[in-house]
Amino acid sequence: MDEDKKLVERTIKGEKEAFEMIIRKYQQPIANYIGRMVGERELALDFTQEIFIKTYSALPSYQPEYKFSTWLFKIASNFIIDHWRKKKIGTLSIDQQRATEDQKPFPQIPDSEPSIVKKYEISELRERIEKVLEKIPASLRELFIWRHINEFSYKEIAEIKGLPVGTIKNRVFQAKELIRKNLEEKT
Amino acid sequence: MKCLGIDQVYSYLEKELSSEENKKIEEHLATCLKCKKALEERSLLFQAADSLPLWQIPPDFTQQVMARVYPDKVTLRQWLTAVAVGTSSIVATLLAFFIFTGQNLTTFLSGITHTLWNLVRNIAIIFIKLFKIASLLITVARQLVEHLFENFARLTTLISPEVQISIITFSILLFTFLILGIRRKILIGEKS
Repeated sequence: MDEDKKLVERTIKGEKEAFEMIIRKYQQPIANYIGRMVGERELALDFTQEIFIKTYSALPSYQPEYKFSTWLFKIASNFIIDHWRKKKIGTLSIDQQRATEDQKPFPQIPDSEPSIVKKYEISELRERIEKVLEKIPASLRELFIWRHINEFSYKEIAEIKGLPVGTIKNRVFQAKELIRKNLEEKT
Repeated sequence: MKCLGIDQVYSYLEKELSSEENKKIEEHLATCLKCKKALEERSLLFQAADSLPLWQIPPDFTQQVMARVYPDKVTLRQWLTAVAVGTSSIVATLLAFFIFTGQNLTTFLSGITHTLWNLVRNIAIIFIKLFKIASLLITVARQLVEHLFENFARLTTLISPEVQISIITFSILLFTFLILGIRRKILIGEKS
């Protein structure tokens, strides 16, 4: 049994320290994700707390055959969807539109493509990526964050979203290309 | 091999392809400058994306979450300890007071008892008086309501039903106009 599953078991048995270890391990990855999804610092920290509280209440329903980290991020993702639903922002509920985008084949590399990367220092490029990230659709941004910042594998992301690996891969590529295009427009 | 698709570029960079596919792409890259440039561009861009800064969290964040997940509950044992500590501190303070001032404990205690008794007696008297006033008010109100009903019943026997309906309608209209008038006055007052 892996470390996370042992910590979950100990938490259910009433060991406070075990849940504290879960928080310490996942607070940064969750904050990295939530922070970039909501943008506002205070709100992001508040949401991160709420997610841990929800996770604690849901621990008895956790099934050990699933990876704990993907289960936790599923809770976080649903939390964000609920928040947007309450605020009536349909940013994540564009799966139908996304599905038609998924059908389109990826284009070939264009004949003349301006170089964006060489114009900037790496630190400036990072700053620009952060800014552009806010502009891409939330459903793609989420996948990009999980892949590049939380360093999840495509299989893990597919488990969180309950979608085929191929679809996830396709959408992450779409997100990357969209970021590149946005950077191109900004230059 | 023809030029690469964007998805092939990303799949190659993320090492998601088979060794055979990788070999084909590498062969193509060796001859195609356009695809090589596009690949380098995306490789550098997402190297930057892989090292984005961490979202800052306060150092006491874990404690904040823990305090919300496990709110402090005062157990019976803690309550009893607090009561015991409180009582023994009062006794110790009193003892110290008598030892150092040399006062008589019996006189002091009887003085306190007397003051407390007077306080309780005065509060009781106030409550009794308040109770009497309340019961008197209830009796008066009950009699008033009874008289009102009696007289109203007498009045209905004297006046015909048509006149009664007219009076009620007139009263409702008068009341409505009165309310509307007051409201208008208030609104005008607010505007000015």
